[in-house]
Amino acid sequence: MIPLLHFFQDPILTASTLGTMLMGLASSLVGVLVYVRKRALIGETLSHATYPGIVLGIGVFSIFFDHSPLIFPIVVLLGAFVSGFLGIYVIYYLESKLSLNSDTALCFVLSTFLGVGVLLASKLQFSEPVWFQRVQALLYGQTATMLTVHVYIYAVLAFVISVYILLLYSPLKIIHFDYDFAKVLRIFIKPIEFFTLILLVFAIVIGIRSVGVVLMAGMLIAPAAAARQFVRKFWQMFVLSSFFGVGIGFLGLVFSVNGSIWFQEKYGQKISLPAGPIILIIATLIVLFALIFERKRGLISRIIRRNQFKMNCVEENILKFLSKSLNKVHFSDLREVVHLSIPVLWGVLTMMKLKKLVAESDGFYLTKDGNIKAMQIIRLHRLWEVYLFKCLDVQRENVHKSAEEMEHIITPELEEELTELLGDPKKDPHDQIIPRKEGLS
Amino acid sequence: MNEIVVNDLTCIYDRKPVIWDLHFSVPKGAMVAVIGPNGAGKSTLIKAMIGLVPAISGKVRFFGKKLDQMALKIAYVGQRANIDWDFPITAFEVVLMGLYGRIGPFRRPSKKDRAEVYKVLEKIGMSALADRQISDLSGGQQQRLFVGRALMQDADVYFLDEPFSGIDMTTEKLIVDILKELASEGKTIFVVHHDLNTVESYFDYAILLNMRLVAFGKLSEVFNSENLVKTFGGRGGLFEKAFLHAKEREEGMI
Repeated sequence: MIPLLHFFQDPILTASTLGTMLMGLASSLVGVLVYVRKRALIGETLSHATYPGIVLGIGVFSIFFDHSPLIFPIVVLLGAFVSGFLGIYVIYYLESKLSLNSDTALCFVLSTFLGVGVLLASKLQFSEPVWFQRVQALLYGQTATMLTVHVYIYAVLAFVISVYILLLYSPLKIIHFDYDFAKVLRIFIKPIEFFTLILLVFAIVIGIRSVGVVLMAGMLIAPAAAARQFVRKFWQMFVLSSFFGVGIGFLGLVFSVNGSIWFQEKYGQKISLPAGPIILIIATLIVLFALIFERKRGLISRIIRRNQFKMNCVEENILKFLSKSLNKVHFSDLREVVHLSIPVLWGVLTMMKLKKLVAESDGFYLTKDGNIKAMQIIRLHRLWEVYLFKCLDVQRENVHKSAEEMEHIITPELEEELTELLGDPKKDPHDQIIPRKEGLS
Repeated sequence: MNEIVVNDLTCIYDRKPVIWDLHFSVPKGAMVAVIGPNGAGKSTLIKAMIGLVPAISGKVRFFGKKLDQMALKIAYVGQRANIDWDFPITAFEVVLMGLYGRIGPFRRPSKKDRAEVYKVLEKIGMSALADRQISDLSGGQQQRLFVGRALMQDADVYFLDEPFSGIDMTTEKLIVDILKELASEGKTIFVVHHDLNTVESYFDYAILLNMRLVAFGKLSEVFNSENLVKTFGGRGGLFEKAFLHAKEREEGMI
């Protein structure tokens, strides 16, 4: 196992570490813009569109230059840029000039460009087998061979992306939130959108080295999607997304390197965990985590809220029962009413004691607050009965069951509306008195 | 000089005319209802006036000035459907957005600016919800924010596209009161309006539209059954058909 600090100190590992982290930063920042525009597919398309450029770049390089480690990445990146831009142009042309549906145009570019790339690559396979290996590496990413020069190039590109977003934060926000308003304000929408696409190509070009052409789109969307679950403001989304992006890049590399070492030690043979797929798996796990723990619709908070509601109903039923019984009530009697296990009922009663709704001395009884709350529940119950009986023509015998449920649900606003609609009734259909609103709050 | 003048305004979408040769001039401080059936071009009219959709011909002058000179003095509240309600933004920020025209893209809002936003939030009854995300607000509350944003722009002319559709009565009353107050301060207001029952209590001018201008003028003069029948009677469809027919002949399509 390599300790975490070594990833920043080891001369061979440092370039890969910084490279993947910069990849995470760039893609997560641009990814926010792609995500809020709901155009995830464009990332997928443009990353595939870079492929023929990469192959061509490597092909050209193999003819004109001999193994020069400095120029190689530059030629490859240049090829990726050029074919990425060509991809943008073709999408634009198909959409606006031939009025092709956006999805169709994107898929057309994706498959055509990838197809051309594969065709070129297969040519290379026989003429230049050594270079073909390198082309293949860029399909799924290859972090191990990253060099310092890569890091420098990536740093510059990531810097350009960050500065762009920082400078144009307000216009970007308005364009993505309310397009018409941006138009009314005379914001230069077209140039900004075009430049955003260019930055998207930047981010993809950084990313293909670490996660590859095929998986790049996931790296654009995952950090933004995870961040979206936790933020309320646009700038917070950038901050959290880039935090996730950098973290995913780093963790992915650590797991891939240490995982490979672990497999080797354990089984003695070389099973390597490639960084690209590992990075994407971690990204997916983080999105999953975000969806589960999101505060409003997340799985966990839904379970918590459901239980809170259940407990609330139990509490209200206990209050009702206590208010109807003349004597103090014993624990065992309460158990028969609410059908709960001993520890749960004990917990609920303890909570109610803490809230000063009930008190206990030789049996449970209502406090003053508890009594008010019980009256309020009875009021809602009986109001609902009146409503069912009078307005919905439900039989008198049948109104009780529905009211048993609705008494826990009716909000103060609904109560007010009911009171008004029914003309503030004094008695329910069973001729029982409805507690007055006054003095209950 | 004290009027908003529209001359010969025509917009075409997909080779069909949407609005055709509109003429009218609205005095400063008027509160104008834009009325017409579905597809009459009501939204297109106000969008064309502020340059959101291109006009193939026509001239619009705001108090003698062209749109370009007036752009920052125009506020627009669009239809709710055109906004990304999933966007991460708070109530406060929506209203703050109205400042953009005044402070530009790079300056950060000052303390004074923020205080102004809070004053607007107070006015639209949203102070308590300032930090809420818009997706958590009701339709009425969301609409209040967009009216707040328009107020923040401190504009001279306000355009609202069906601001009262799908909102509660309290909000509708609040927005109407705000608009009336603006009109009394000399701001000119255009509202695309659906509910014919409330036209007379809300507005003082009306544009009756069915692709062509059916009638324009003071409400007391034009808002009558004769004009309403003309507007909603469905004669516009024939004109559209004839126009398309002529166009196709001209281009040798038939």
